[in-house]
Amino acid sequence: MNWSSHLGKFRRALALGAVLAVSVGATMAAKAQTVDEIKKKGQVTVGMLVDFPPFGITNLEGQPDGFDADIAKALAKHLGVKANIVPVTGPNRIPFLLTGKVDMLVASLAITPERAKQVAFSDPYAGIRIVVYGKKSAVVKEPSDLKTVTVGVARASTQDVSLTAIAPEGTQIRRFDDDASAVQALLSGQVDVIGAATPVVGEIEKVAPGQFDTKLTLREQVHGIALRPGQDELLKAVNDFVAEQQKSGALAATYKKWVGADLPEMKKP
Amino acid sequence: MTYTFRFGPVLESYRELLAGAWLTIQLSAGAMLLGLVVAIICAWIKTSGPKSLRLIVNGYIEIIRNTPFLVQIFFIFFGLPTLGLRLSPNAAALLAMVVNVGAYATEIIRAGIESIHRGQVEAGLALGLKPLQVFRYVILKPALRTVYPALTSQFILLMLTSSVVSAISADDLTSIANNIQSLTFTSFEVYLVVTLMYLVMSLAFSGLFSMIYRMTFSYPDRR
Repeated sequence: MNWSSHLGKFRRALALGAVLAVSVGATMAAKAQTVDEIKKKGQVTVGMLVDFPPFGITNLEGQPDGFDADIAKALAKHLGVKANIVPVTGPNRIPFLLTGKVDMLVASLAITPERAKQVAFSDPYAGIRIVVYGKKSAVVKEPSDLKTVTVGVARASTQDVSLTAIAPEGTQIRRFDDDASAVQALLSGQVDVIGAATPVVGEIEKVAPGQFDTKLTLREQVHGIALRPGQDELLKAVNDFVAEQQKSGALAATYKKWVGADLPEMKKP
Repeated sequence: MTYTFRFGPVLESYRELLAGAWLTIQLSAGAMLLGLVVAIICAWIKTSGPKSLRLIVNGYIEIIRNTPFLVQIFFIFFGLPTLGLRLSPNAAALLAMVVNVGAYATEIIRAGIESIHRGQVEAGLALGLKPLQVFRYVILKPALRTVYPALTSQFILLMLTSSVVSAISADDLTSIANNIQSLTFTSFEVYLVVTLMYLVMSLAFSGLFSMIYRMTFSYPDRR
């Protein structure tokens, strides 16, 4: 018995482990779906939310609809197959994907480091931002400028929390009972700017085009199409699709159609 | 009872709560005084003013007494800016309260005025008092004395209704309470404390009103 023989055993064990890991990885890769397999199947099964307007809704015919549905259908078309949309919920969407019940998720899944450990994210295909939005004449270039204007928010909303966090001491923040009142205050000129999510901004642009613009971004989240890890070929195909949609302007048009706002600039975190 | 009270976060924000209560008191007292002036003028118009003005006053009273206070506040805060009149939340709240209590108090005072016997008015004129003097000493003072309880309970009601002004982001007591509860999730505790504060404020106003009554209206009565 000496140290070197111990070390030798340890090395062998390490090598065996490495071989096992590689072979397990190989089996997973073999199990993973490829573009060809999806084409052979003739359809791609996509999980999406139906309770997250305007991204995922159920339309009057009881069918899944919304921004995510349009993207899922366009993606299926890109792959040359039919889209089979499966409604999922916020908590069960990742389990649905990992257990193979769906091929991918187009489910407004915000890209976060925690989720990226479990699933493979495509490049971002959508995003929402919490912004400071207001009168064109109001000069707000950085958070410290907020002191010079009156700001409206819905009490205790995400907007309120993120705005209160960055606004300097002494900023006039007027808290209304809901988003609708805050928007009304902006429209009637009672406040100069408001904190709002981009879908709300889209609604305002519809009723009062050209009067207001976006000043600051308080928070942003981007959504990615999620796949099981290790499907590199499929992931590349999905990324190609996203890039193509970006380039052709189709993505921006779909976003505008559902969300009513311009597609924000999206960076994969 | 299994609920665990957490009064800590509420007591920590006692400064904000007191500031909110003070604003509620200021708004209420201001609205009571100005509302009383509005009501006396409107009541005079209704009982002995020119007919054209009477129509306008009637319209004002009917509109205010038959629409919700919240809608009136929204109209003043969100609606008037489109006509070029932009008021701060607190000013809008005060205006809404004056307009509202003015209409109710007009009807109360009118009832008091109508309870004055015609003979008294004629006696005043016969004594050589000018019409304005007759209105002030012979009609208004006894009228206010008669309706005093109804008028003051309308004023207390006004203070309690003022909680609605939080909807236009005025920083009254209820608005502060909403802020605290939405940040600390201690809604039961906050509203319990605020309820007590409103109760204390109501009792204080009641005490003040009965003091005013004793000082102003305590002349010898027929017994």
